[in-house]
Amino acid sequence: MTRLLLAALACALLVAPFVLSSFWVHIAVKVLAFALYASSFNLLLGYGGMLSFGHAAYFAMGGYACALLIARADAPILLALAAAPLLSAALAGAIGYFCVRRSGIYFAMLTFAFQMLLYTIALKAIGLTNGDDGVTGVRPSGLLSDAVDYYYFTLAIVATALVLLYRLVNSPFGFTLRALRNNPRRVEYVGVPVRLHQWVTFVVAGGFAGLAGGLYALSIGSVFPNWLNWTESATPVVMAVLGGLHTFAGPIVGAAVYVVLETVISGQTEYWHIFMGAIILFLILVLPEGLTGTPRLRRRMLALIGR
Amino acid sequence: MTDAPVLLVEGLQKRFGGLQALGGVDLAVQPREIRAIIGPNGAGKSTFFNTLTGLLQPDAGRVLFEGRDITGRPPHILTRLGIARTFQITSIFPDLTVLQNVQVALAGYRGETWRMWRPAARSGVERSNSMLELVGLAQQGGRPAGTLAHGDQKRLELAIALAGEPRLLLLDEPTAGMTAQERLEAINLVHRVAVELGLTVVFTEHDMAVVFAVATRICVLHQGRLLADGTPEEVRADRQVQEVYLGDSLEADGAEP
Amino acid sequence: MIDLVSAFFVEHFGWMQYPVVVARQLLAAVSYGMMLFLIASGLTLIFGVTRILNFAHGGMFMIGAYLAVTAGMLLPGSVPGFMLILLAGLVGLMLLGTVVEVGLLRRIYHAPHEFQLLLTFALVFVIGDAVKLIWGRQDYSLQTPDFLQGATRALGLTFPTYRLFLIGFGLAVAVGLWYLLNRTRWGTFVRAATMDRDMLSALGVNTGRLFTGVFALGAGLAGLGGALAAPIFAVGPGLHIQVIIEAFVVVVIGGMGSIGGALAGALLVGLVNAFGVLAFPDLALVMTFALMAIVLVVRPRGLFGKPE
Repeated sequence: MTRLLLAALACALLVAPFVLSSFWVHIAVKVLAFALYASSFNLLLGYGGMLSFGHAAYFAMGGYACALLIARADAPILLALAAAPLLSAALAGAIGYFCVRRSGIYFAMLTFAFQMLLYTIALKAIGLTNGDDGVTGVRPSGLLSDAVDYYYFTLAIVATALVLLYRLVNSPFGFTLRALRNNPRRVEYVGVPVRLHQWVTFVVAGGFAGLAGGLYALSIGSVFPNWLNWTESATPVVMAVLGGLHTFAGPIVGAAVYVVLETVISGQTEYWHIFMGAIILFLILVLPEGLTGTPRLRRRMLALIGR
Repeated sequence: MTDAPVLLVEGLQKRFGGLQALGGVDLAVQPREIRAIIGPNGAGKSTFFNTLTGLLQPDAGRVLFEGRDITGRPPHILTRLGIARTFQITSIFPDLTVLQNVQVALAGYRGETWRMWRPAARSGVERSNSMLELVGLAQQGGRPAGTLAHGDQKRLELAIALAGEPRLLLLDEPTAGMTAQERLEAINLVHRVAVELGLTVVFTEHDMAVVFAVATRICVLHQGRLLADGTPEEVRADRQVQEVYLGDSLEADGAEP
Repeated sequence: MIDLVSAFFVEHFGWMQYPVVVARQLLAAVSYGMMLFLIASGLTLIFGVTRILNFAHGGMFMIGAYLAVTAGMLLPGSVPGFMLILLAGLVGLMLLGTVVEVGLLRRIYHAPHEFQLLLTFALVFVIGDAVKLIWGRQDYSLQTPDFLQGATRALGLTFPTYRLFLIGFGLAVAVGLWYLLNRTRWGTFVRAATMDRDMLSALGVNTGRLFTGVFALGAGLAGLGGALAAPIFAVGPGLHIQVIIEAFVVVVIGGMGSIGGALAGALLVGLVNAFGVLAFPDLALVMTFALMAIVLVVRPRGLFGKPE
C-alpha cells in the first residue's frame, strides 16, 4: 500500500511540470524546499524531542550562503549549493554546542535568541548582506535557468535528502533519538553520551535546513533578513504540527499544505495572516495529531472536552 | 575466596547546602553478592545511589569498580565499563516497542548508536529477544512499551539493564509501587537472573520481606552514615539497628509502601 | 596609536562631555525602561504561573495603545479624561485577557511546549491583522494630555514632563505589584504557583481562577503600558513585533518569572538602548540579543535570579 502510494506520488511529481502553469511550477519548487525544511525540523522535534525555536536560522543561513557566494564571489551554482548545508551545519555546530546544554523551554529560548542575534547581524552587517534590502538577483543561469529544469533539479536533490533522512531516523541512531525524546536519563544509562547525540542531531538538522534554504533562495533569486525575524520561528513548527509530528511523512504533507494554503489565500486577500492564525488554532484545539494522524482524532477530541 | 571487591566505596561524602546527606560511607561488595541497602526515609539511600552512578558528584571519597577509580565519572562511561542501573520510578521508552527498547539499549552498550544508515529493526534482534525471554516478556516484543502493566515495565527495565552484559547491577527500589505478591515475584526474578548470569547486585529496598528473601549481606544507612553492615542474621540481631529502624519495620513486615 | 584611541573615543564617546545629553538619554532610558517594565512584568508573571511564553503579549500592548487612541478621540485631555484613557487600556485588556485565557489557553496548559508556542503565535497573527481591519493601516498618535505637556525644569535641566510622569507611574505600578504579590493572600498563591506547582494544589487553591486572574492581570498591564505609550509611540500595525522582542529580552535577563528581575532588566535594556545608540549606533540592537543569548548560556535563571 505504502509502495503504491509512493509510486503514484513519484509519477505525479514527475509529470507535474507538464500539467501545472509556470506559476505553480514555481510554487512546487517551494513545496519541495519547505518539505525538506520541515523534515529537518522534525528530526529535532518529532524524533529528538528538542523544540528548536530558532530553526529558521539554518534555513536562512543556507539561503545567505548560497546567495552571497554567487553574488559576491561569482561561485558556480553547484558549489554555492554544496556550501549551503555545510555552512549551516557549521553554524548549527557552534550554536548547538551551547543549546544542547539546556532542555525544554530554555532550549527553545536559547535557539530563539541566537536566531534573533543573527537577524540583527543580517540587518546591520550592511556591507556583507545589504541589510534590509537583502541579496537579490541570484537566479541560476545556464542549464538551470529554466523553471522546469530547476524543478527537476530540486526534486532530485530533495528526494535524495529525504531518503537520507529516512534512513537516518530508522537507523540505530534514529532509534536512539526516539528513545532520547522518551527518556534522556535512561539513554545515558545504556551507555550513550546524550549531549553529543543531541548535538550531532542539531548539526544534521541544521545542515538539511541549510540545503533547503539554498534551494529556495535560488528559486526566488533572493534572500532577506526577514527570513530570520521572530515571526519566522513558527513556520517549521506549524508545518510539522500541521502534518503531524512523530511520523516521517507528516511534516512533508504539512509543508505542502502550508505552502499551497499560503499561496491560495494570500492570492485572495491581504489578510492571509488572520487565516493562518485561525488554521493554527483549529489545528491545536481540534487536530493535535495533524493531518496524518486523524484516526486518533476522536480520542483526542474527547480528551480535550474531558479536560 | 579472596576476590577483589567488585565495588569498593571509601569515605563517600555528599553535602547539600547545610545538610550532610552522606557523612563518609565505606563499603565493599564482593563478587556475586546480593547486597541490600536499607534505612529509613531520608537516610541517604537515594543520594548514595545517585553518587555511585555518576548523577551526583561526591564532595569527598572514592568509588572503585573492579579496582578502577570511577568516582564522579558520567553515567554513559560507567555503563560502558559494566555497571547497569534501574530507577525507582520505572524508566523505559514508552513510545518504542518492547523489543525496540532492548535493541536501543543493546546499541547503546555496543556503541552502535552512531550508525546512521543501516536499519535499526534488524540490529541485535536475537540477543534482544533472549533478554526478553530471560525476564519473561518474550511474547510481548511487538507491543508499545508504554502499554505494558507496571510489573511488566519493571521487568522490561531489568532486560534493558541486562542487555549490556553488566557485571554489577544497581537497582533502586526494584519493587516500588507493587503489591506484596508482585514484590516477591520481582525480587525472585532478580535473584534467579543474578545467579544465572553470575552478577553482583546492590539494591535499595523498603520492604523487609523482600530484603531478607534474597540479600546475602545488608547495609543499614542512617542519617548519611553506615549504621551496620553484615549478614542478614547479624543485622537482624544488631541492637542499634533495632532501635533506630528495624524493630518497627520487622513488626510491620513490609506493610509500608 | 594614541591618536587612534582618542579618535575612537571622540567618535564613540564624545557625547559624554555634554551633561545635558547624558541626562536626556538617562531620562529617555529610564522612562522607556518603565514602559518595557509594564509589558515585561505581565509577560514574566504569566510565564511564572502558567509556564507559557506568550508571544501575543506584544499584541496586547498594541491593542492597549489603539484603545487609548480611540478613547482619546472621545475624551478631553484633562486629568479625569486621561485617567479614563488609561483605564480603557487596562480594563479593555483585562477583559480580552480573560476571554483568551478561558477560551483558549486553558485548554493547552498540559499540551507540549510546541502547541503552547503555536497557540500564542496564532494569536499574534490574528491580532496583527485584526487591528488592521479595525483601525486601518495608518499610524495614530494620542495627544499628550494638557497637564503633562511641555517641559519641567529640574537640576538646572529641562525634561519633557510626560517622560517624568512615565517614570513616576512605572514606579507606582512596581510598588503596587510588589504589594499585591508580597502582602496579599492572592499574591502568596501567585508566588507559590511560580515556585512550586504542587504546593499550590496542596494549599487547596482554585488554580483555574488563579490562572485566569494572572493572565488577565498580565494582559491588563500590557494594555496599560500600551495606553501610556500612545502619546510617544506611533500607534500602527506592526507595533507589537518590536515591542514583544524587547520584552522577551527583558524577561530573560531578569529571570523568567521574576517581577523584580523584570524591573532591573527593563532598566538595563533601556540603558543599553539609549546609550548604545549614542556609542555604537549599528551595534545597539546586536548587543541586546547578544546579551540575551549570553544570559541564557551562563545564567538561564536570569541575571537577577538565583543561579541554577
